[in-house]
Amino acid sequence: MLQITNMVKKYKKVTAVDGLSMKIDKGHIYGFVGANGAGKTTTMKIVAGLLKATSGKVYVNGIDIQADPGGVKKQIGYMPDFFGVYDDLRVDEYMDFYAGVYGIPADKRKKVCDDLVELVNLKDKMDAYVDSLSRGMKQRLCLARSLIHNPQLLILDEPASGLDPRARAEIKEILKELRDMGKTILISSHILPELSQLCTSIGIINAGKMVINGTVDEIMQRVSVNKVLIVKVNGEMQPAVSFLKEQPVLCNVTVSNDQISADFNGDDEQLARILAQMVERKIPVISFREAEKNLESIFMNLTVGGMKDAV
Amino acid sequence: MRYNPVIAKELKVKMRGWKSPALVTIYLGFLGLIVFFYFLTNDQISRYSSYSFNPRTAVNIYNMLAIAQFMLILLITPALTGGAISGERERQTLDLLLCTNLPTFSIVFGKLISSIAHVLLLIVASFPILGIVFIFGGIGLVDVLLLFAFYIVTAFMVGSVGLFYSSIFKKSSIAMVMTYVTLLGFVIGTVVIMYVWTFFTMRFGGNPETNPALILIFMAPNPFFGLASMATWSSGYIDIFNIFYELKRIFSDKTAGWIFTRPWLLNITFNVLLSGVLIWFTSWKLKPVKRKKKKKAGYQS
Repeated sequence: MLQITNMVKKYKKVTAVDGLSMKIDKGHIYGFVGANGAGKTTTMKIVAGLLKATSGKVYVNGIDIQADPGGVKKQIGYMPDFFGVYDDLRVDEYMDFYAGVYGIPADKRKKVCDDLVELVNLKDKMDAYVDSLSRGMKQRLCLARSLIHNPQLLILDEPASGLDPRARAEIKEILKELRDMGKTILISSHILPELSQLCTSIGIINAGKMVINGTVDEIMQRVSVNKVLIVKVNGEMQPAVSFLKEQPVLCNVTVSNDQISADFNGDDEQLARILAQMVERKIPVISFREAEKNLESIFMNLTVGGMKDAV
Repeated sequence: MRYNPVIAKELKVKMRGWKSPALVTIYLGFLGLIVFFYFLTNDQISRYSSYSFNPRTAVNIYNMLAIAQFMLILLITPALTGGAISGERERQTLDLLLCTNLPTFSIVFGKLISSIAHVLLLIVASFPILGIVFIFGGIGLVDVLLLFAFYIVTAFMVGSVGLFYSSIFKKSSIAMVMTYVTLLGFVIGTVVIMYVWTFFTMRFGGNPETNPALILIFMAPNPFFGLASMATWSSGYIDIFNIFYELKRIFSDKTAGWIFTRPWLLNITFNVLLSGVLIWFTSWKLKPVKRKKKKKAGYQS
């Protein structure tokens, strides 16, 4: 559905996107992860036809964006990382305006708008002024707007940014529904646990370069992240902390929230030996486990100094 | 004609709320006060007045209203258009329009037409006040219609300048200020240039009156030149436009061409051409991805 090959975007001396390549298959949800200024929004704007790449190729559904930008725009629904709403319009007028902008025939506009407003659960707000909507509602309205011309590829830049957990959950449910409808979605977000639950593939970008991309499981396997050991003891923690600090395979031993955590660089046998020695020394261990490796730890590992080691 | 959603939306939003009725009320109130005070100061509405009605008064009040309305249009139009594009940028809605297949020309034209429509509303609403002069005679309907057409063309030009700056500057306030500065350049700058040229021509022993075509070129962008020439040629002499009366005297000696008898046509032509160029440039400037012309096959360096 989307194929980017060796895309470069330069602003005078600054290179915002540096030789980025990625591919999203039809019907997939692709999570685009990166720190602020990594080049996510620039990439998305280029795909949406709002910026021109300095070099490289972008194909949407087989259409070259440079050769036929109009054809590509028909395929894309873009939702930027800001609301972009006209406060003086009511919800129905807002949708009707964009339906007109997208060239939906006048006799079909009302039905299209009604269906989309219903999809994003704003049916009861149809007569409300956009200005009066909550942040989450505005975000859902923007999502409905981006769907108005029935695009095949949705580009969502930080759709859950600044939303409370309930509003985030609502957006997530709508995205799942869109996935079930067969839409291809490119989504950027800082809320990584949600991305890993929602996305079929992930791409991590750092300083304009794609650091790693693939399915969440693939990435978990490919990236070697330091394991983190979590230990809980009953009562006094100081003897346990002292013992763990003496171990050569452990470093960065810290205490927080009644538990001790330490970076572990060893194998399972060494881990078992440490536990046995703690029991021998009569340290009252009530929990001893390895922290779960997640997208957040991978992201931190790849974007803060760990980039060089990756892939 | 293809439906332009920008015009439909802009008109809907602009006419909503108290601002538009308030603008029309203030505008008409201002023009009404001018008429009232003019009649008052000329003893036309005093019950003790011993003067009979002077038909010249009707022509004078018409000219005064024409100038007042023209100045109001020049003041209001930049405020309506200066924030048209930059306002979209400030509201962060411009990208949402640009990522659609709506041509940038439609966006620019929609913004311009909706702003002009607002000015048109003010002009049409003022018709009854201008109509007062019909009671006394001296002004023909054609004169008034011609004046309104001139207003619309000028508003179109000013609106185009406003949109042009609005597409260049990110802040609406800067775009508006630049539009006013440009208009000042057209109004005062052209006169200054003409005087400087006259001064140097005379200094070197020449006679500026022998080159009226150059004077016309200098003054063509001046909207007041257009208005004054139209008023002085059709309905008589306006005191404050001595300079234009002088120009009329110079031009009337010439038989070189019809343009000398209708200099306002030159101003209208300038306005139309400038509007066209600015609308084209603004539309081009707004295009997020500008396509370069493909090199002809076989031409490779």
